Amino acid sequence: MGRRRRWVGQVAGTRAGALPEAIAALSRTLSAGPSPETFRRAKFDFPEAAPPLWRLLFYVLSPLSEDDIAASLTPEARVRLVKSAMRAQGYPRLAFSRLPEDGSQGSRELLLALSWLLARGPLLERLLARTRVRLGDEMPVCECEDLPCGRASPGPPTLCKDTEGCVDVRHVQWLMGKLRFRWRNLICSHQAQCALLSKIHEYTLGCHSDQSLNHLSAAETELLRDPEGGQQLLQMLEFENMRLEAALEWRRLEQVFWQWMDTVLGACPPDFPHAGSQSTFLPSIPDPGAGELDLVARELQALQVELREAVEVRRAAWEAQVRGLRPERSAEMRALKEAVGRELATLQQAWEREGGPVRPHRPHRLVRSEAGALPGQGLWAAEAIGALRNKEACLEAVLCWLQGQCQQELARLAGALPGVIWIPPHGR
Amino acid sequence: MASSTRLPADCSRRLVAELRGALDACAERQRQLDRSLRVCRRLLRAWEPAGPPAAEPTPGPESNGDPSPACTPSPQDLKELELLTQVLEKAVRVRKGVSKPAERDKAPSLKPRTVATPPATTTSAPPQAPGQAGSRTPETRPPRRIRQSKVLAKGHPERKLLSTREKTSLGRGAQATSPSPGDQQVTPSAAPRAPEAFTLEEKGTLLRLPVAFQKAASQNARLWAQIDSTRTSDSANAATRTRFLQRMQAASGRPNMGLSAAAVEAEVGRLRQACSLLRLRMGAELAAAPAGWVQEYRCLLILEGLQAMAGRCLQRLQELHEAVTEQHLELWPSGMPPRASSLCGGGTDAAWSPQPLLYSSTRELQTLAALRLRVAMLDQQLHLEKVLMVELLPLVRTQGPDCLALFRAVYSLLCNGGQRFPMVLRDEPAD
Repeated sequence: MGRRRRWVGQVAGTRAGALPEAIAALSRTLSAGPSPETFRRAKFDFPEAAPPLWRLLFYVLSPLSEDDIAASLTPEARVRLVKSAMRAQGYPRLAFSRLPEDGSQGSRELLLALSWLLARGPLLERLLARTRVRLGDEMPVCECEDLPCGRASPGPPTLCKDTEGCVDVRHVQWLMGKLRFRWRNLICSHQAQCALLSKIHEYTLGCHSDQSLNHLSAAETELLRDPEGGQQLLQMLEFENMRLEAALEWRRLEQVFWQWMDTVLGACPPDFPHAGSQSTFLPSIPDPGAGELDLVARELQALQVELREAVEVRRAAWEAQVRGLRPERSAEMRALKEAVGRELATLQQAWEREGGPVRPHRPHRLVRSEAGALPGQGLWAAEAIGALRNKEACLEAVLCWLQGQCQQELARLAGALPGVIWIPPHGR
Repeated sequence: MASSTRLPADCSRRLVAELRGALDACAERQRQLDRSLRVCRRLLRAWEPAGPPAAEPTPGPESNGDPSPACTPSPQDLKELELLTQVLEKAVRVRKGVSKPAERDKAPSLKPRTVATPPATTTSAPPQAPGQAGSRTPETRPPRRIRQSKVLAKGHPERKLLSTREKTSLGRGAQATSPSPGDQQVTPSAAPRAPEAFTLEEKGTLLRLPVAFQKAASQNARLWAQIDSTRTSDSANAATRTRFLQRMQAASGRPNMGLSAAAVEAEVGRLRQACSLLRLRMGAELAAAPAGWVQEYRCLLILEGLQAMAGRCLQRLQELHEAVTEQHLELWPSGMPPRASSLCGGGTDAAWSPQPLLYSSTRELQTLAALRLRVAMLDQQLHLEKVLMVELLPLVRTQGPDCLALFRAVYSLLCNGGQRFPMVLRDEPAD
């Protein structure tokens, strides 16, 4: 294989050295990622390049702040998680799913998988954002940022091992009560925090070098109070700037990388599905997601029934009335129809757009500003409050509907109990 | 009776795991919040350990006295907070005790002043009630130092500047950077040389960020903005990437792959959202009393439109269902879908550079925060409701009338979030 001697730079029509630069930029953007040399070795499928690439893929695919989970997992478990996450995203290569689970081989497949992720989405940006230095007092407007506190880990939920066996339903009730209490505390602490932040902002008005920010954040004030911590913050910021510069350089040079990846793909043996491979891809486990699909279907069906009934009543009333209308109203009616069509199209956009209603996801820094002042662009709290109220109403409606469903079902069951009088609680 | 309210092992494990997860998530949030509260409280007190720690102001009223729009804390909550505050204070005190000698070593010139400071002056003015943004009295701020401090900020970028050190550094600054002579004349008019502790409220506006930090921060902002702006303009890169993806798909063992599990999950999430938006709109239309034929007709058209949209959503859901079955897609491998609003998570049109979120009053900020939490809580509640439904409904369906206690508990959990109970009367047949 004389070809193996060839390192990069030889992609037709590109300046020699552009490829190493591109890969170096990529490597720097990934911060703790593999060295450029690892990429070269991966092209030739050398096994020593596999472990760092598995690690990188795991880091890339695992959700936020799961370092402790990563540490607690065996390499095999990590390989499995990476494979299942790739499968869920629709990664097409079968050879990847057949890689040995000890993570010792397959560096070329891993390089392809990484490139696939890179080509698909804003991967680098997401990784950069994940470790972003937060200088401002931030208030996420998009609730997706609450997710890390939630439960979207790719791992099986069995990570919390509860081996206590059967519990009493009262234990569940007790846990629910505890949860309610925690939320109440959380809300109170948040109110206190808002009051404190607002004071810090007010007391430092005019202190910020950036005119549009106007005042200091808690972190910035803290760095004045604690110079050593401030020094650390400065270093982190400089490190992040270095990575951001690398990411911008990567964008300038990435064309060369993709051309090179074409040659890597060309060097791969064909990705045939062979007999028995099906089992790795088609697990015969019962589909837990079907429950959710059914639930949404039931919700939609119930809605449709309600709508049909409402429409029937109104249509009948309308038709009785329309007989008395003069024909010259028809133009007006047509205009009305068009207006309603437009209105409904906007409604539809609210869920069809990826990223939710109107506003794309982005971080937000709190800035105190007198109402009416015009400090460049920004999102007004009032707007965000409006959006959240909508969201709140939506969630309340769904919750209410689900509770109503349960109520009906349970009332039916209770009605079937002989010799029992059932009095539901009143009021909400 | 106790045995009849026991849950099966599978169900127990699942419910306890889910609830523990939710509790842990809350606790984690609380921890983060407490950390931030600690920092903020410390910043709002006098900074330098200029007097004995006993002179610390109690931050109690500032945290508890705020009338919040979304929740009026119960006395119990207040008591909890009070306790928490006490613990935090103690922690801060311990920390100060540890760090004091080190600071003296660093700035020996400060020492005599530190010792001489009478404790009474270190107590910061009691914090104002929030929401009275404009009520700061300008007299409390000694105006005489503003100009000097600016000069110093330029002259000593390395000193983190001001705080109570401003006076000491003033001494040195007078030699090094020669502040304008006017300052010396103004000085006597203020309280003559009375040692004062630095508080943010009185002298916060004198603070300036170190130059090195300013530079790094503005570069950072510029770079993030560039990340956003070049992303939208690199169509050539986007085309190359798409080509690579296509080549890869074609060369793979499954060139004709349909939807991925992630894509189906995302779309089901969108349909779920569609359903609640449609329901919301329907409610609004039905609640409005139409006046006149135009409104009546409009309402009818909208309801018909909503009906058609719901139909299309159902149809799409059916298609997704078929795709899932055909391709044996494994949705939500962890068992349940993530909570409703996880759809976003940095989609393709996400922006990365921080944008200002402008608020005009403490009250407004509190409303925003409370609503955010409310939405997160509802999200979690909704998720738990679904889990409870899946686990508990089949259980009561198969149980007989001898498990009324379980029935009652399930009713309360599923229909009232565990907060209210139905009444059950046994109607004993009269002999």
